[in-house]
Amino acid sequence: MHSDPTPAPRVHRSLPRLPAALLRALLPRAEADEVLADIAVEFDQHAAAHGRESAKRWLWHQALHSTPALLGWTSWRGWTGFQPRANAYRPGGPMFTTWIADARYAARRLRARPGFTLLSVLTLSLGIGGTAAVYGIARPLIIDPLPFANANEVGAFWMSGWWTEEEFVHLRGSFPGFRAVAAHRPADVTLRQGDSPTRLIPGIASSAELFDVLGARPLIGRTFEQGEDAQGAEPVVVVSYGLWQELGGSSSILGQRITLDGVPRTVVGVMPRGFWYPNPSVRIWLTRALNPQGRNGSYTFLGRVAPGADVRAMESHVARLTTMLGERFQYSERGDKTKNALITPIRDQLLGSMRPAIVATLTAMGLILLIACANVAALMLGQVEGRSTELAVRSALGANRRRLTQQLVVEAILLGLLAATVGAAMAAGGFRLLAGALPIGAWSESAAFDWTMFAVALAIAIAAVLLVVLVPLSSLWRTDLRGTMNLARTGGIQGRGGRLERGLVVAEVALAMLIASGAALLVRSVANLYAIESGVETETIAVVDVLGSRDIPADARLRTIDEMSSALGALPGVQSVGAAMKIPLRGGGDSFGLTVEGKDVRGQTSYFRIVTPAYFQTMGIKVREGRTFDGSDRIFTPADTVGMEMSVVVNEALAAKYFPGENAIGRRLGGGFGIPQRIVGVVANVAEAALTDEPEPVRYFLAGQASWFGPNGTLVIRTARAGDAAALLESARRTIQRVAPQFAVQGTTTMARVLDTAVGPARQIMTLLSLLSVLALVLGAVGIYGVVSHFATRRKRDWAIKVALGLPASRVVRHIVGQGALLVAGGIVLGAIGTAALARLLASFLFRVGTIDSIAFTAASLALLAIGLAAAFIPARRAGTVNPADILREQ
Amino acid sequence: MTDSPYAPLGVLEEQIVVAVLRTHGDAYGMEVRREIERVTGRDLAIGAVYATLDRLESKGLLASDRVMGHGSSRRLFEVTPAGARALASTRAMRERLWQGIDLVGLTALARGRA
Repeated sequence: MHSDPTPAPRVHRSLPRLPAALLRALLPRAEADEVLADIAVEFDQHAAAHGRESAKRWLWHQALHSTPALLGWTSWRGWTGFQPRANAYRPGGPMFTTWIADARYAARRLRARPGFTLLSVLTLSLGIGGTAAVYGIARPLIIDPLPFANANEVGAFWMSGWWTEEEFVHLRGSFPGFRAVAAHRPADVTLRQGDSPTRLIPGIASSAELFDVLGARPLIGRTFEQGEDAQGAEPVVVVSYGLWQELGGSSSILGQRITLDGVPRTVVGVMPRGFWYPNPSVRIWLTRALNPQGRNGSYTFLGRVAPGADVRAMESHVARLTTMLGERFQYSERGDKTKNALITPIRDQLLGSMRPAIVATLTAMGLILLIACANVAALMLGQVEGRSTELAVRSALGANRRRLTQQLVVEAILLGLLAATVGAAMAAGGFRLLAGALPIGAWSESAAFDWTMFAVALAIAIAAVLLVVLVPLSSLWRTDLRGTMNLARTGGIQGRGGRLERGLVVAEVALAMLIASGAALLVRSVANLYAIESGVETETIAVVDVLGSRDIPADARLRTIDEMSSALGALPGVQSVGAAMKIPLRGGGDSFGLTVEGKDVRGQTSYFRIVTPAYFQTMGIKVREGRTFDGSDRIFTPADTVGMEMSVVVNEALAAKYFPGENAIGRRLGGGFGIPQRIVGVVANVAEAALTDEPEPVRYFLAGQASWFGPNGTLVIRTARAGDAAALLESARRTIQRVAPQFAVQGTTTMARVLDTAVGPARQIMTLLSLLSVLALVLGAVGIYGVVSHFATRRKRDWAIKVALGLPASRVVRHIVGQGALLVAGGIVLGAIGTAALARLLASFLFRVGTIDSIAFTAASLALLAIGLAAAFIPARRAGTVNPADILREQ
Repeated sequence: MTDSPYAPLGVLEEQIVVAVLRTHGDAYGMEVRREIERVTGRDLAIGAVYATLDRLESKGLLASDRVMGHGSSRRLFEVTPAGARALASTRAMRERLWQGIDLVGLTALARGRA
């Protein structure tokens, strides 16, 4: 038998564990033991009288009913700081209480220093809000799973958007290594309901396998079934949730027919909310009969790999596939599908191009946040050093370092909470703006701010302030508090020169340097892109894209386009109106085979454009030789082409390639229409597919001689003044709806915006990074200002003595500014090293600029240096102009 | 009229101050709770009792001190002069309120309702 040496816990042991633990957690620590001991006595008495089960119920009842009162009690003690005299010598008050007291103390301190508080909260919340917002936008694109089950097993074939129905029908069912393959292509359709104007619905035409390949289930109804893409099958469609809602949102839609492109189609299914493929703008998926001889080459092939196969390791299967293709099809060099064959995982295919833009933006935002952290850390550090006497006194009075640490942490957390609130508000407010500014296409529409971003803001804020508070803490833990007291008593000059603080500013400048030089690189790159001569007028042209039902015959289509052109030409301020099936800077478009009379030219193609006569003048395409189309070009119908000749206008690239050193005017070309084409004019090259492409041979045909075979067209409207183009768009849209109700307006824009789009994501990233680097420079300046003025204040007694002894005040100013310059220079050097590594993130956006570019680098350095010196000059001047006698009298 | 600077005591506060007086120098939290339960038959939550004792002490109506008991110390409460005044004035106020109430009629009314 041995006796238990600790009698008190033995009493508790009889208590059921859970309610006892609850009570212990809620009781003030100084009294928890004795109260629990009393409760245990009561419990035992109760158990003896009524049995243990009843006593347990009693204890639970007690614990639960005491909870509100105990919570109130503990927090009330914390808030008022009340400690009963009886507890005066008890070890340690409860944690909870001191935390609340510290929070109160911190709140008081923050209120007492509104400048510091405002600056810290604003600085931090800019970084927090920005990072949270970019994270919110990026999440659906790079983190969230794709909205279909087979995402990890699906890949897109190489030469996406270049495949034909013929190839698909030939390979279907025998794709090696794939469970199933679907073919799809863009198919925007017009929807006409009752008397409302014709609407455009962005859509996809696909083979029947599409949804099975993706692993996507409908919300109601079904998806496509085998055989529904066969010739003669009934046309069916699946609609998106959003479109379903617009069509009434009733389940009776299944089996109903809607008229698309003038053809009634049966709705068989509705996809769930949140489903998208291939991007959120697509709202309808339709089957279209696959033609085994179809040469329309705008298909994408999407395959789900065989069980056990890895979509990233399909080389051997792909090799067999290219052999199969090579045996059956002849490819020209440009479209050779047996080369560079590769399966791209679906995620990379759909979102891959956006990743660098998002990663670059997120990185820049993260850097801003780091700068903000460094700034606030420097501010807090200044505060701690300014408080060193107070802290020393407190520690002499018995406050230990743990308690002082806790106080700083609480103050930081309070700052963090404030910053998280403001930051979340900023993220919510700026979310749309940011989503629109990022190059994420249709996803910017579907990006939505939700509550998780508040959680993210809070998490970032807490992480940030904990990082921040480490800095003053490390200073606190290193400081010899008693030594500080002695210094304070004698009013002596502090020996330690705030090395940590200076280090922070150097880091800050280095981070700002990263952002600024990134922005400078992009500015250079984008300037290079805009400097490219596109060959077309961009400032005064309004652009309207229209789409007619596919069932409108080609000649009727052209008539309507002419009617639209005249109606638009009658609008005030319009100088001329042209139309084309495709305008420059928007991708290659169709190519036709090309022959040259009298020359042995084989296997050659050229782009071809079908345009109205006013097109060249409207677009500002310069005529180099001959003429463009006019009244002398006869219009003919496909019926009477015998012995006819088409007029063709070619560009300089074609003339230079096939008629070097000769006169191209009057020569005849062939290919494409089965009718000879006589060259009547040569016009300047324009940027055809993309801004950066080399000039390509182009033939322009006159609409009417060549049939307007596509359902869509683009009207270009030249206005007198640059600002008018955008202002015209709305009236142009209304005019077209009035004149041609069977056409839908696909979109309206201006040639300037078409150019912006052609310049690509680099432009948008540049804008964002430029704004962010301004922000970084401002934050950096604040940091430099803070540290330099702190430095100046700390040394003011020192200088006052020197000035009193005859040192000129200008020397003081110079010395302080020099300190600032030293910090900035250090930061620039450090930043320059990082820049080289980080610029690789931007490499995909750079055009004719290396990742190490001396001009961009110098510009960023000079900007930083100028701002840094300006920020240092303010406190320096103040220090140089005070009367030394005033300072010496202060202490 | 009233000589106490304090607001009149609440019902629980009043019961607790009275119970402290009734326990004659053995007024620790659990004993106070037990005393009230014994007299009134109310099952009070321990938390409420401790919190109220604390608040009364912060108002200066009670004072506590530590006394060594069975192996551990306990906070024992006693009523301060201010507490005594507050209790007296609370009681006086209640009696003023009750003056002129027809107790016989009240009893009859209660019976009628019951």
